[in-house]
Amino acid sequence: MRSQKQFAGCLFALLAVIGAGADGIAAEPVRPADVAAPAKPVTFEFDVQPLLTRFGCNAGACHGKSRGQNGFALSLLGFDADFDYDALIHEGRGRRIFPSTPEYSLLLRKPSGQMPHGGGKRFDIDSPQYRLLYAWIKAGAPRTPADAPKLLCVVVEPGNRSLVRQESLQLRVLAEYSDGTRRDVTDGSAFQSNDGTLAGVDANGLVKAGELPGEAAIMARYMNNIAVCAVTIPVPGAVPAEAYRTLPRHNHIDELVWQKLKLLGILPSAPAGDATFHRRAYLRAIGRLPTPEETRAFLADHRPDKRVRLIDQLLERPEYADFWANKWADLLRPNPYRAGIKAVWNLDSWLRAAFRKNMPYDQFVRELITAQGSTWHNGAAVIFRDRPEPVELGASISQLFLGTRLECAKCHHHPFEVWGQDDFFGFAAFFARVGHKGQGLSPPISGGEEMIYTTETGQLKHGRTGATVTPKLLAGAPLTLGPNDDPREALAEWMTSPDNPFFAKVMANRIWKDVMGQGLVEPVDDLRATNPPSNGPLLDALAEDFRKQGYDIKKLIREIMASYVFSLSTEPNPRNVADLKNFSRYYRDRMRAEVLLDAVNDVLGTEETFAAMPPGSRATQLWTHRSPSLFLDTFSRPDPNLDPPCERSSDCTTPQVLHLMNSPALSRKLSLETARPAKLAANKDSNEKIVEEIYLLAYCRYPTDVEKKTAVAVLTASGNRRRAVEDLFWAILNTPEFLFID
Amino acid sequence: MAIHQNCEGMNRRDCMKLGLGALLGGGLVDALRARGSAGDTTAAKTSCILFWLDGGPSHFETFDPKPDAPAEIRGEFKPIPTKVPGMFFSENMTKLAAIGDKLTIVRSVRHDQNNHGAGNHYMMTGAPTRIPVGCGAFVSFHPSMGSVVSAERGAAHGLPAYFSIPEMSRSGGPNFLGARHAPFVVSDDPNGASFTVRDVTIPRELDDGRALNRRELREKLDQFKRFHDRAAGDPVLSADDNYRQAVSIMTSAEAQRAFEIYREPDRVRTAFGRTALGQRALLARRLVEAGVPFVTIVNGGWDHHSDIFPAFRKHGQEMESVVAALISDLDQRGLLDTTLVLVMGEFGRSPKISTLSGSKTPGRDHWSSAISVLAAGCRTPRGQVVGATDRSGYAPIEKIYGPENLVSSVYLKLGINPDKTLYNSTGRPTHLVSDPRPIAELMG
Repeated sequence: MRSQKQFAGCLFALLAVIGAGADGIAAEPVRPADVAAPAKPVTFEFDVQPLLTRFGCNAGACHGKSRGQNGFALSLLGFDADFDYDALIHEGRGRRIFPSTPEYSLLLRKPSGQMPHGGGKRFDIDSPQYRLLYAWIKAGAPRTPADAPKLLCVVVEPGNRSLVRQESLQLRVLAEYSDGTRRDVTDGSAFQSNDGTLAGVDANGLVKAGELPGEAAIMARYMNNIAVCAVTIPVPGAVPAEAYRTLPRHNHIDELVWQKLKLLGILPSAPAGDATFHRRAYLRAIGRLPTPEETRAFLADHRPDKRVRLIDQLLERPEYADFWANKWADLLRPNPYRAGIKAVWNLDSWLRAAFRKNMPYDQFVRELITAQGSTWHNGAAVIFRDRPEPVELGASISQLFLGTRLECAKCHHHPFEVWGQDDFFGFAAFFARVGHKGQGLSPPISGGEEMIYTTETGQLKHGRTGATVTPKLLAGAPLTLGPNDDPREALAEWMTSPDNPFFAKVMANRIWKDVMGQGLVEPVDDLRATNPPSNGPLLDALAEDFRKQGYDIKKLIREIMASYVFSLSTEPNPRNVADLKNFSRYYRDRMRAEVLLDAVNDVLGTEETFAAMPPGSRATQLWTHRSPSLFLDTFSRPDPNLDPPCERSSDCTTPQVLHLMNSPALSRKLSLETARPAKLAANKDSNEKIVEEIYLLAYCRYPTDVEKKTAVAVLTASGNRRRAVEDLFWAILNTPEFLFID
Repeated sequence: MAIHQNCEGMNRRDCMKLGLGALLGGGLVDALRARGSAGDTTAAKTSCILFWLDGGPSHFETFDPKPDAPAEIRGEFKPIPTKVPGMFFSENMTKLAAIGDKLTIVRSVRHDQNNHGAGNHYMMTGAPTRIPVGCGAFVSFHPSMGSVVSAERGAAHGLPAYFSIPEMSRSGGPNFLGARHAPFVVSDDPNGASFTVRDVTIPRELDDGRALNRRELREKLDQFKRFHDRAAGDPVLSADDNYRQAVSIMTSAEAQRAFEIYREPDRVRTAFGRTALGQRALLARRLVEAGVPFVTIVNGGWDHHSDIFPAFRKHGQEMESVVAALISDLDQRGLLDTTLVLVMGEFGRSPKISTLSGSKTPGRDHWSSAISVLAAGCRTPRGQVVGATDRSGYAPIEKIYGPENLVSSVYLKLGINPDKTLYNSTGRPTHLVSDPRPIAELMG
């Protein structure tokens, strides 16, 4: 027996040397000093899998990626216990575990640094984890019995907490099981902060506040269960309660924002002046600059309710529909080279009509999701032409309208969410009976007409198991639907029902972002416990309000614009300078591409010529991103080559600045005979008047005395008035005051 | 780098990247640090000029002639010897044959995307399309090589890091890397007398004095308040940075020289050929000299379903003489050591010569099972053939490589780890290249 053991030892040492390669001779494997069996048997699902997750073994960058790492593949974050068990026990020629001599198991030697390991040393030989794995292997690597208590949820303690700068906080994670027991699983949990600069967290759950005031969400993950703890770091120094009590409250939005600011010790900025408010309201409500006449009239108006009146007027303007439909076109618009020109144009018209009518949002979504009929007659049906596969539809519709990113769960359990593959396929199965008749996709022309209808049969197969999937609502039970029930109707009914937890919130958040420049949740279509809103009560209230008002989009926009918060200045004060997400001030934002192009033309009195559009069309009226425009490409529109086009950035880039300064097209516009510079220069107005007009056109305000003096001096000094006026326009269009919504 | 104030000022990808970066053990600060420390290795000085022959050039009529194949396969042309003993090209590639000792020809790249849309995507990004797409498709599911290089490397003097001349290729876009890594397109003909590169130079009708006046006037009139505390994240500060960079491009003699193709001696301009294509190649060389790491020259018309032989006598010869001139020129300047020149398209052409209904002359059809790629420079071994196809050019029989391996080689040469994980717009980790092994024979 003894000699046999020695032989085995030699053999394994030899193997270890081979494994160690150039690193030389590996040390003798180590057996933990304390090999006493734990009180309860150590089993795979209950004890071992959590460790694989905790140490990142099954992370996407390591063995969790689909092709594994160096021949060893685990399921991502341990969503597939059978697969992982098989990988450990049977694959790798059985070298991963040796029950007779556990210390020779690769599962122990590699992560404890006794053998070269691409992932480095993950734990010490004398750590409890090493001991636990050792005991498990020694016991013959048992699985957790099927009747063992099931993990129900995890809780993180303490709950939400306020910290001062540099303060630390140890989190504790408790798992709750179906037999009512609780277990401290802090050791087996992974932690993540959503803002490491505000508050970081280490691998053991120790939170440390940084230097800046603000708020961070710390996520603890134990297996596929997640708990979140919010950490608040208020601005140092006390603010008298009086300061908050006396703040204006136009509506409930203000109250909820002030409550949050109070928690963080932040004070809001002063309100913006009339001219700033006026320009901001135009750009946010209808995506265009006010004309000089409109600005003059607003500034001269002394009625106390003039701001609310302005908001009401703007929302009735025809530009409203084009501007807001454009935002949805970004999300839904297919590539005409894929879906066909007529179909894409048709969807675009449908969107514009919906916003012209102020179609209630629940109806808007219901009409889209349940669309039937010809892609040449019902624009809404085109989304089914563009995305014929149930899995594509499931992923995009859950993300667009429910803010739930199921895409990850197509192949594996969502890493930061409760969703698994069953949820993904269950949701996609609602689209398994979308029928297509007529001419399908035939790029590059795809010109044909297609009929979308609901078939009586049609099945979706589960991506992993291959089983037929029954439609299943998110966080709900599978539905039984007969051949005469339309699954899409059932889905639409659930989505738009008053108790749907996602529907109203997602749209309220989108609209908040469109008006305020930033979402309460970012990205706007990623609502989940681990990505909490910066102001939860406010988002809840907005959603509730939206629902109660019959999903009236204009009313929601009006509510937000009428709040005092919307009117705040962008200029920070000492107590809110670091606040980037609680709306204690308005946040500056560059005009988006179409709005900016229209603004340039409005200022210069010029028109754009777009392919496949009538003369005089505005950029916000374009029906496809494929319409060539160097200007729009430079300032970013959804990538016309992206399929589907959905990304747009408001980054400032050097090519953008260069384009505004030097582009031949803009240069031509500045000097056109029919453009405003030439016309202004030619009439008999005084230089003062010309300067005032330029300021009103581009900045939508009167020039200050100093500005007027500087600009008039330029005109007076120049021997060529027209050139001087052109230069003035050029200079103003190239300043950030023109480019930004302030 | 600009400190963004919020998620509107920060694109979604940044958000996700930073948010998820935390999972991997760092936060915003680490992410910023990681960006700041982009290594200053020799690879950081390397560049790539990609000749994109859109439509799919025939391997038979370029670098993989098959003289022993039956007539309906071998075609009209004969092989010619090159400067490297035993390496033969098709007969129209005379100038490249003469500098064969500077080139590597890979004859064994293959993939399975036999239409233009999907083939373009695969060869340009190293990733197949996520869903099947058709021939005419212009699609992007993954960032193109140029966009990746722009994101990972940036360029000197504030120049855009990725140029595409005279247009963007079908799948040459940035995808989730965002608009700032889209190619800077120079569409004007550099062979024209009044050629300027749009936007980076002062418009023709202005004299320098007036442009300067305008900028001075702008300084005077710009009274917009800046919030200088970095914690406030004022996006106007980054716009100011962009403005300063823009002015430095316009006024830096070094940056402007890259665009001033007229400064080249006639001898050099003539060597490249006084054609749009020739001068585009020359412009690409000037850009690379100025520190631009990736330039694509898009050259269409290689979809020879018909008329293939006359086309190679004309277009084929034009292309090869421009490429030969570029490589020789780079070599003379010592730039070939740091500049990779690649010549390729989305696929090769079918072995059987066909005459499609409706066309009068013969051609070859799409063939993604065998693709020849020309590579030179940037430590690519000189004068070798890598891999081989069977005697009729149907398929590679040795050293078989995919677009992944080719694209990985490009990244490695440019100092970018092809095994890097990127985060797409939904926050999903995505491998830069799914198979990060390079074509070993290109790596030298």
